[in-house]
Amino acid sequence: MHDAVYRAPPIDGLLIAPLDEFTAVYHRASGITHLLTEPAPQILAVLGEGGLSLDALLDRLAEDYELSDGTREALAARLDELVEAGLVEAA
Amino acid sequence: MIPEHREDGVPTRRRVLALGAVTAGAVVSIRPALAQTAGSVLNCEIPVPDPGRAGSYIDANGRVVPARTKGAFPSSPRPFKGEEVKRSMATGRSLPGTDSERSRAYVNYIRRLQRGQGGFTCFASLQMPRA
Repeated sequence: MHDAVYRAPPIDGLLIAPLDEFTAVYHRASGITHLLTEPAPQILAVLGEGGLSLDALLDRLAEDYELSDGTREALAARLDELVEAGLVEAA
Repeated sequence: MIPEHREDGVPTRRRVLALGAVTAGAVVSIRPALAQTAGSVLNCEIPVPDPGRAGSYIDANGRVVPARTKGAFPSSPRPFKGEEVKRSMATGRSLPGTDSERSRAYVNYIRRLQRGQGGFTCFASLQMPRA
């Protein structure tokens, strides 16, 4: 799974509304609304439609942010959640 | 990189970002349960009136009135299925086991249901197009 390429839905397939602590994400394809907390919205934004491997995603996040606990395991766990929610595709 | 996201509430460069513990959890999904269970919506039940006021009568306008009020109707001996109510509202036919006047009183009662009353969620779900 760690060699998989992770993709976010097309940008027009999501309706994103920041709500203080949460970011509400409406996924048009499924009709499901998700409430995300950090770092999930940031992961979605960096991931984009193009897709990234776990390591590439970790590098990109580290470019943009100071990662306080930037382990592959933690990122993989966040990605698994997003995959389970249907917001990220792993292939 | 998707610039729109960055400006739309997602923090900018060099902010501290915690990826979190493996067990943390950063996603809560709100599923449209009613929309996904159209079958069970039609099988949900609406008591007339709700159990807390069982034994009261229903007047022609759908108000709950004291038992044996003249011109009002006794409460229904059984709750109605969502499907029965939906059909009656759509076609104007009487609810099962009722004549037209009693059915109209019951339907008026159901239309006046509010949040927190027995059967309200069932009635509200009948209004959804997919139900």
